[in-house]
Amino acid sequence: MAPTLPSNDQASDQDNWDNGRLARKRQLLTEIVLRNRLTALVVDGDTTCRVLEQLLLRSYGVQTQGVDNGRDAVAFIASGVKFDLIIIDMILPVLNGLEATRQIRDMGVHCKMLGVTVCSGESERQAFLAAGVDVFIEKPLDPEHLVPILRELDGQLFVESGPLVMYW
Amino acid sequence: MERNPMRRQLAIMRQSLFDQGHVDEQFVQLEELQDDANPNFVEEVVTLYYRDSARIILNIEQALERKPFDFRKLDAYMHQFKGSSSSIGAKKVKAESTLFREYCKSGNGEGCMRSFQQLKKEYATLRKKLGAYFQLARQAGPVETASRPK
Repeated sequence: MAPTLPSNDQASDQDNWDNGRLARKRQLLTEIVLRNRLTALVVDGDTTCRVLEQLLLRSYGVQTQGVDNGRDAVAFIASGVKFDLIIIDMILPVLNGLEATRQIRDMGVHCKMLGVTVCSGESERQAFLAAGVDVFIEKPLDPEHLVPILRELDGQLFVESGPLVMYW
Repeated sequence: MERNPMRRQLAIMRQSLFDQGHVDEQFVQLEELQDDANPNFVEEVVTLYYRDSARIILNIEQALERKPFDFRKLDAYMHQFKGSSSSIGAKKVKAESTLFREYCKSGNGEGCMRSFQQLKKEYATLRKKLGAYFQLARQAGPVETASRPK
């Protein structure tokens, strides 16, 4: 729900709102001080979505790469580049997200994959999960969904191999 | 601390965007990503959205001129458009996109056309309102940021 300004003393309430917003941003960032340098691949045919998802990840210190179609995503992974996280849309140009996900999993890639897409119903959700994504998230990708996943990945890296080592 | 009338007007304009249902919580998320290093971030993202989505709108218009309708193609276009619109918090535009997709799924061509006309209206209205908001924001200048005591 969008925050609203109280009706009394409007000028100081504006200041409180601005300061509160800044405090909330700092809290979001400090809540997730990652011990490891996570990397993510964002696969989305829409520039606005791809840019925003990458920026959101980067705001948490995640290093990101972006591609705009499924074929390039598969080729990127096939080239040997490793990621801790792949975020992929369902409908993509050239090669769709379902098939791209299957091909990535068929390569033996076990990293966390998030299917972030416009939801059309349970059948689409099940299809994406069956293709190999671990989590299905309806667009837009938001911190409430992302932060626990980043914490989980960061914790796995820390426990399994110590800092600065990729989990695969 | 900022108390000038322009910032006050800006806050009112911003609130009305939410109250009138033009934008949702996702718009707040965009604002969260804006900082001193990127003071016009939200405006830049919205500009990017309108630039890119214009192409999708054109594709849909052209697809609606071809009979019989290719509902799968129309749905795919609208899937992308809806995703893009939701990423900037365009609430009414997103709602019309959902309706359009429902008409696609049920093969209702008339419904698609009606819904698309309404969608274009909401899309244009939002562009106008955000344009006015960003113009005022630029005139008002950046918000003075709070700093923690040392």
